Amino acid sequence: METIGYLMEGFAVALTLNNLMYALFGAFVGTLIGCLPGLGPANGVAILIPLAFTLGLPPETAMILLTSVYAGAMYGGRISSILLNIPGDEPAMMTCLDGYPMARNGRAADALAISAVASFAGGLIGTIGLILLAPVLARFALSFGPAEYFALFLLAFATLGGITGKNPMKTVIAAALGIMISTVGIDISTGTQRYTFGVLELYEGIDFILAIVGLFAISELLFFVEHRMGSGRDKMSVGKLSLSFKEIVSTIPTQIRGGVLGFISGVLPGAGASLGSFISYTLEKQVIGKKGKFGEGDIRGVVAPEAGNNGASSGALVPMLTLGVPGSGTTAVLLAMLISLNITPGPLMFTQNADIVWGVIAALLIGNLLLLGPEMEKNLAHAMVLSDGEWSILWGSPLAMGLWIFASLGLALPYLVGPILRRRMRAAIKETPVSD
Amino acid sequence: MTGLGDRILGLGLLVLAVAYGWVAQQWPEPFGGAETVGPETFPTILSVVLVVGSLYLMVKPDPDAQWPVGKSALELVVSLVVLVAYALLLEPLGFVIATTMAVGTLSWRMGANPKPAFMTGLLSAIVVFVLFNYGLSLSLPAGLLEVQ
Repeated sequence: METIGYLMEGFAVALTLNNLMYALFGAFVGTLIGCLPGLGPANGVAILIPLAFTLGLPPETAMILLTSVYAGAMYGGRISSILLNIPGDEPAMMTCLDGYPMARNGRAADALAISAVASFAGGLIGTIGLILLAPVLARFALSFGPAEYFALFLLAFATLGGITGKNPMKTVIAAALGIMISTVGIDISTGTQRYTFGVLELYEGIDFILAIVGLFAISELLFFVEHRMGSGRDKMSVGKLSLSFKEIVSTIPTQIRGGVLGFISGVLPGAGASLGSFISYTLEKQVIGKKGKFGEGDIRGVVAPEAGNNGASSGALVPMLTLGVPGSGTTAVLLAMLISLNITPGPLMFTQNADIVWGVIAALLIGNLLLLGPEMEKNLAHAMVLSDGEWSILWGSPLAMGLWIFASLGLALPYLVGPILRRRMRAAIKETPVSD
Repeated sequence: MTGLGDRILGLGLLVLAVAYGWVAQQWPEPFGGAETVGPETFPTILSVVLVVGSLYLMVKPDPDAQWPVGKSALELVVSLVVLVAYALLLEPLGFVIATTMAVGTLSWRMGANPKPAFMTGLLSAIVVFVLFNYGLSLSLPAGLLEVQ
């Protein structure tokens, strides 16, 4: 399984102390940004790009930072949804539907806890999907020539309609305007000055990131000013955590369904996390049927969209990393980041910059784990209370046992297998001539 | 007439598209002779796309969006003016003063009390300035506060 080997290599990149710290920082800042109403992952990542640049981070660290922000923001979006009924971003909207009623019923703590678990499950499923699917797609895409790429970019612009919605013609116009901005500067292949009007500053063109950050920040500002509402909201008491382990277990099927669906919709270009959380919620409603109390604070109504949107956020990375086509607004920003780091995303990246790709994927896994940390502690305390301080409850059930085995394997493998694999890989790289 | 907003937008875009396309035709032939794909090819395609798009917009506009009126329209204008003024004043006044004023005004207009709003502006300006100038050695303009 070369994929596993690459992943372990990725862990080796992501688990260096430095990168781990950036991942933690990114996850923390991302969660904060996600909590703020109106600020979503796309803005969060866009805002932090200059930081990544000014710190002079190496590419893999910068990507790890931003991916963690991405994961964190997806995760943080649920907090304001549940407590204030204000979604932090579009995908978190579905969480409001049952999260806010749960909070009103005095189960805010439960809603937060279960949504954290669901986010984690969704993120994990999505990342596993990413690990499995990405290399296959990348290999397939290696046979792409310039013509296929042009078609692919056209397809990507066409599917942009999925993000922007109502009038496809307006999307076409916006896309054309965007590309027009990119034509300012000296033409790469001929050296002709295009639209510079003799202004020296325009010779190098207009920086992609500059444009993106400006657009996101200014549109957000104007939107905020227009929709500013000074009305006070009901104070919400978080309440005691009364979530039982049984309840968490009972939602596992929901988590898996949500995560898988979310991942699939994330992979589709232009669909992204909003669709992921939406169809996860809808499907769950169909599956449970009238037995559930959706819309009135059903716990599965929180689990499904959370698992869905986190699954989708990993899924959206698949087309971005393998084809260089973003699956959502946030991945578009990440793509811009990669391009300005002089790395061309796409199939070649898997061979030329394997450390970055797999480092990012591993960071995504770690980011999910870091976010789960506080919840883990809470659950530990909870389990201890249930069992009168009997530690054995932690590995009492077969399910928990299985999870433990996986956890220990995951912890031990990089250390055991990593060095061997790295040696093998180095040998393999020497053998195969690098073709450009 | 419904969809006036879109029609005006379409007209503006049409002018832009034609101008953009026309400029592209004026470039001197690159050194080494003309090729199938020259510097003007891609802009020309774009300009055609935009012409078609803007014509479509003028013929079949969406129903008018709800434009903000009265106070909130004024707030939007104020925000835009603040942003433009910030860009223009950044160098002459220096980062700290300009940022304090911009962030302060915006926070105030977003509903904060004036005093905390400008304090927030001042604090964030100083923190960012110190962080960038000394932490990351990226010099931001000091402007009026420059120590000779």
